[in-house]
Amino acid sequence: MIEVQRLRKTFRARGSSIVAVDDVSFRAVDGEITGLLGPNGAGKTTTLRMLYTLMQPDGGRVLVDGLDPSTHAGDVRRRLGVLPDARGLYKRLTARENIAYFGRLHGLEPALVSQRIGRLVGALGMEDFIDRRSEGFSQGQRTKTAIARALVHDPRNVLLDEPSNGLDVMTTRALRQFLRGLRAEGRCVLFSSHIMQEVAALCDRIVVIAQGRVVAQGTPDELRVQTGQANLEDAFVKAIGSEEGLFA
Amino acid sequence: MSACWVVLRKELLDAFRDRRMVIVALVVMPLAVPLILAGMSALGMKRQVEKLEGTLELPVIGIEHAPNLVAWLGANDVDVVPGPPDPDDAVRRQEREVILRIDASYGQDWRSGRPARLELIFDSSRPLQSGATIARTRALLDGYARQVGALRLITRGIHPSVSQPLQVGQRDVATPGSRFDLAQQMLPYLLLLLAFIGGMQLAIDATAGERERQSLEPLLATPASRGAIISGKILATAAFTLLSVLVTLVMYRIAFALVPVGRIDTSLAVPADALARLLLVILPIVLLGATLLTALAAFARSHREAQGYLPLLIFLPMLPTLYLMVSPVKTQPWMLAVPFLGQNQLILRILRRESIDALEWAISLGSGLALAALVWALAARLYHREQLAAST
Repeated sequence: MIEVQRLRKTFRARGSSIVAVDDVSFRAVDGEITGLLGPNGAGKTTTLRMLYTLMQPDGGRVLVDGLDPSTHAGDVRRRLGVLPDARGLYKRLTARENIAYFGRLHGLEPALVSQRIGRLVGALGMEDFIDRRSEGFSQGQRTKTAIARALVHDPRNVLLDEPSNGLDVMTTRALRQFLRGLRAEGRCVLFSSHIMQEVAALCDRIVVIAQGRVVAQGTPDELRVQTGQANLEDAFVKAIGSEEGLFA
Repeated sequence: MSACWVVLRKELLDAFRDRRMVIVALVVMPLAVPLILAGMSALGMKRQVEKLEGTLELPVIGIEHAPNLVAWLGANDVDVVPGPPDPDDAVRRQEREVILRIDASYGQDWRSGRPARLELIFDSSRPLQSGATIARTRALLDGYARQVGALRLITRGIHPSVSQPLQVGQRDVATPGSRFDLAQQMLPYLLLLLAFIGGMQLAIDATAGERERQSLEPLLATPASRGAIISGKILATAAFTLLSVLVTLVMYRIAFALVPVGRIDTSLAVPADALARLLLVILPIVLLGATLLTALAAFARSHREAQGYLPLLIFLPMLPTLYLMVSPVKTQPWMLAVPFLGQNQLILRILRRESIDALEWAISLGSGLALAALVWALAARLYHREQLAAST
């Protein structure tokens, strides 16, 4: 369960300050997939970074399972599985070693780590490259390894920043199936995307962000009612106020 | 603490799989340092032996003015050859190390008992190249003058000792271990340089590299504290560097054990028990280097930027060596507290087989480790900056 209340973040760049996140509030509950949808530069990545404690909000607050990251950073990180936009691997380590490294950093015992890796390898279909060094991995193999790495500590809440970026159709389908599996296990899944179809295909609840503010949120049906549009795509365009960045 | 250990192990595993890094740190450097020093030493010995024991070729201008002197020189293993027309130029252009000119009035002065004029032409600004030859020529001429002077006194019925009020004996207290040459001056510098920046590749790869290949952000999203992460990286760098220094020292010992005695200056060899003490002296520099490199690299946005600091870092360990070359002084306690300068002094003393007392150890290790701890704290602070991971 993730709650975001009136979050705000500004950056200072060459004297002037840029408002990246102006006023964002939403709630992502367990057993649901929540989508953060918005054009590039809307503030999705910055919002997620404040969620996973990489950045401190200038205003508002975040609660992960009722815990505030500013006071319980370690506990919050343990309850979160994070796939950031940056998903680099250590190229001289095998996929298994990459994942195990993060498991050990989460404080898991080696036996538990290898058991978890065994499960993730099956769920993500990584059998044929798990013991290969990650140098030269395809984008899909890299993303799968990064997802396994993010989930090795079995977190209740899963954050994914643009997870399907650069993936082919088959891998994207497999990824969606995997996220639905996480939902079925009762986890809270929150992911960001700038692709409307992606969000529409997967999400129980959608939060539309534009220019650092939440412009609409609800289930797909609620969004259609709120905007008075029968078509979900038209509903997004209405909510954001332009067609910018909706189509990949 | 356990996160620090996990990071340390992973960075070392990662480093040992980087073939280029391993070859440079554990093969190239350990071979280069002994080869450079052994080569320098062997060459220096060879030249010295040739100059002191071989036949000296001495260009002489005005051979015809002093046939007796020339004949005497010839009997003393000197090959007298006619001098060039422009002796100053020949010396300046390093064609000749020293040229003797016999004045035209030599014969006349000699016969009338006045001091006969000779002139030595040499370049004192190249003591390393021609110093031995100049000294040998001077000694020969002095010997001739003394011998003739003694004969002249005897013919006048005076005992030659009248003109020798002093008899200066010489006793050299140098031990075989304390004999000194240029190669030995280089060893502390090379060791300190290796200790200081030997872990550069690892440090850059573990911080700036981590950022560049975008693995830093997920790393910082784990519960491992940033302090533990950077400490693990610093310790991995230090451990790798220490191994490189150790292999270098062992190779250095082996190199000097293999070369036949006499061909090179054996005083350069490192005794086995000195190895441990050398490593202990160097330890603070290894930690300081690892911390400084990690801090700099953590700050830099890319490999390239991090490598830009390299010339500056190479220069630092050079300063005390330069200082000691200009003013070779006795060790003062304060010097031991100065990084590089103190280590430089202690390394030389270990090589000279001199003892180091407990206080001196305490000053050197204490100040070195304190400085490393300070930079460490600074690096950890830098690593807490928010911009660190989020620069994309």
